[in-house]
Amino acid sequence: MYEVFFRKFNEKIQLTEEEVTFVKQYLTPKKLRKKQYLLQEGDICRNICIVEKGALRAYILDEHGEEHITAFALEGWTMGDLSSFIKEEPAMLNIDALEDCELVLISKSAYIELLKVMPKFETYIRILMTDAYMALQKNMTNMISLSLEERYKAFIRMYPNIVQRVPQHMIASHMGLSPETLSRLRSRLNSRK
Amino acid sequence: MSTKQTIAIIGATGNMGSAIAKSLSKSNNRLLLFANHQDKVKSVVDEIITGNPSAEVEAIACPVNASWEADIIIFAVPFAAEKDLAKAINEVANQKIVISISNPLNETYNGLITAPDTSAAEELQKLLPNAKVVKTFNTIFAANFASPVIDGKQVDAFVAGNDEAAMETVSELVKTAGLNPIVAGDLSVSRTLENMALLLIRLTMKYNYNWLAGWKVLHN
Repeated sequence: MYEVFFRKFNEKIQLTEEEVTFVKQYLTPKKLRKKQYLLQEGDICRNICIVEKGALRAYILDEHGEEHITAFALEGWTMGDLSSFIKEEPAMLNIDALEDCELVLISKSAYIELLKVMPKFETYIRILMTDAYMALQKNMTNMISLSLEERYKAFIRMYPNIVQRVPQHMIASHMGLSPETLSRLRSRLNSRK
Repeated sequence: MSTKQTIAIIGATGNMGSAIAKSLSKSNNRLLLFANHQDKVKSVVDEIITGNPSAEVEAIACPVNASWEADIIIFAVPFAAEKDLAKAINEVANQKIVISISNPLNETYNGLITAPDTSAAEELQKLLPNAKVVKTFNTIFAANFASPVIDGKQVDAFVAGNDEAAMETVSELVKTAGLNPIVAGDLSVSRTLENMALLLIRLTMKYNYNWLAGWKVLHN
């Protein structure tokens, strides 16, 4: 139920058995079925979510009602509308399940309490936030400096196996491309193999 | 809130369980219904969908899976069955809202079997230490869910618990059931609420209220 969560935690900071038991008290296990929403735009994001099993996506709707995928989350990834979670303001993001999911949720009150009472949790969150910021920076520089082909390759490296799990038009949406452009790009890459 | 919440109703074929399921099926929530007799659960689901084809409600074969999927878990089982159910779902109820509706009545309906310094809700909280137990609906008769207004007055439903945010969520749920939520205090107030249910039952039997009666606080 919490295997991936604690594996990820232990990769950064080693927890004792007692500490694992302590942290478990604060976690919410949650199953979400394919196509169900974890969060809808306008609601306050009450939980940060870690994917144990399955896949989530986050998207925004533009003024024409068109979806733009901002992120995917596979096993071990964290998902949430961070500014909504921290500032308790209406979320910009919609988050739904691309597959049946098993999730671990950390509510705002659990998050604040753990930060307060457990220095190891605070360190872990600092590492997560730093990693997330670096990934964001990398994405931004990639967006500006890399060619389409290189961006696609970087995307595949970032989300292994995603091509098998997520429909092509969603990957295109995430990269800001039309499905046709992505399809041409992929056949170009394949023909070179 | 537009994000749908998932509510598991355990014991969904009893008088209270099925009445709560029918009432909450009109709200913007997904319901997962469980009871020991699967065929009876299916007929509750069919009845709800016949009356309201857009209701999101389904029968589920396992109370642990239902609770794992749920954001809110309603214990609509008799008090005596709560211990075993709590043991089974303890792990997946972690940090979730668990609604206690039960009244620990004795066999002759003239007293409670819990000690005076506790309540069914507090006993449930001991069994589910990491859940957010909230008492409500215990002073509401099953028929009140279909008729939440009696003699022109909306019936009050008291809410007691130790987590403010959980009580707020439950109060919203009470409103969607057509009842008037009143936050009564922390979970120990359940002792009073369970005794109020006992008194209402006694009065209903004595004066033949026909099981359509409720509490209403009159105030200016």
